[in-house]
Amino acid sequence: MKRTGFIVSALVLLMFLMPALGQQMKKTSEHKGYKIGDVATDFRLKNVDNKMVSLSDFKSANGFIVVFTCNHCPFAKAYQDRVIALNEKYASKGYPVIAINPNDPKLEPIDSFEGMQQRAKEKGFKFPYLFDDGQKIYPQYGASHTPHVFVLNKENGKNIVRYMGAIDDNYANPKDVSHKYVEAAVDELLAGKPVAQATTVAIGCSIVTAKD
Amino acid sequence: MKSLLVLLLSLISLSTFSQSANKKNAGTAPSHKYILKVVNFDQLQTILKKNDNKLYVVNFWATWCKPCVAELPGFMAVSKSYRFNPQFKMILVSMDNSIEIDSRVKPFLVKNNIQADVYILDDNKRMNEWIPAVDKNWSGSIPATVIYRNGKKLAFKENEITRKQLVQLIRNYL
Repeated sequence: MKRTGFIVSALVLLMFLMPALGQQMKKTSEHKGYKIGDVATDFRLKNVDNKMVSLSDFKSANGFIVVFTCNHCPFAKAYQDRVIALNEKYASKGYPVIAINPNDPKLEPIDSFEGMQQRAKEKGFKFPYLFDDGQKIYPQYGASHTPHVFVLNKENGKNIVRYMGAIDDNYANPKDVSHKYVEAAVDELLAGKPVAQATTVAIGCSIVTAKD
Repeated sequence: MKSLLVLLLSLISLSTFSQSANKKNAGTAPSHKYILKVVNFDQLQTILKKNDNKLYVVNFWATWCKPCVAELPGFMAVSKSYRFNPQFKMILVSMDNSIEIDSRVKPFLVKNNIQADVYILDDNKRMNEWIPAVDKNWSGSIPATVIYRNGKKLAFKENEITRKQLVQLIRNYL
């Protein structure tokens, strides 16, 4: 009798908890990754020169332009010269580019570590091009496609997310760009202003990952 | 005035006829028998949001997008199974660069026997406007699938879906 009572009350409790649990799960799946103002995680990832790189290695940086990119995606490739230009313009001002390949090379062989080394050499990358081995970092940032940019600003020793989205508003033709989103964001941070357009969306290649 | 209109109309129909005749005479190149057209987002809206009681299953894809290409056979099989249903319409919206319509998109459609209307959305400067207009939660990664009826969005799915999932989705509304 006592036992039945326990089971009944446990069941009742479950009935109340279930919808709450369901809602909780839904919430987390809707808001994957960072929001503006969140603290971005540091990492220790292998660079194309075989050395491990962390954000904390850049002692004098005021922030970072973190670009999730890869070798295979036409949109990512179309932007690589512009990523090089961003680093040339902003590394000396304290906002270096950190490129990360988030794709699983088992599923997309072009995005292998060797492929990254080759691309970095061909294009003459002067910034780290890191391999998210095991795909641990991109889900924390909430990167969903390549190219996908996160501008971080160092505030009280923490890397705060201040911009997320596209590099500019025309992947196909760099000569016909009206809004340079990343440049505008970094310029505003350099001027000590809040970032006016803190998020944008653009079409990109889904990050390649094994299905659950 | 009336005769002017008739003249104008006949001129238009003549020119479209001669265009299709030209295409027919273009040689032995295989053709995509469905619509293949470059549109901007406003034009696309009018195509997808018609008040005709049809269920519009709309897939955003690109020839260069591996998961998109992987799910296409499933979409084609589903479209085929509904081909006699006048209340069903499948539309593919390509993110390919419109300059590659003849060099890349058309050959892909022919080779893969894609039996659906295909619109190449050439409006990449306004991506930041039309991506959230399609769905506020869309990150911009493709594939993505949207279902409309009478101008109303009934469902939105980002990422790859299987044939079975697509059928389940459609059965909710048909």
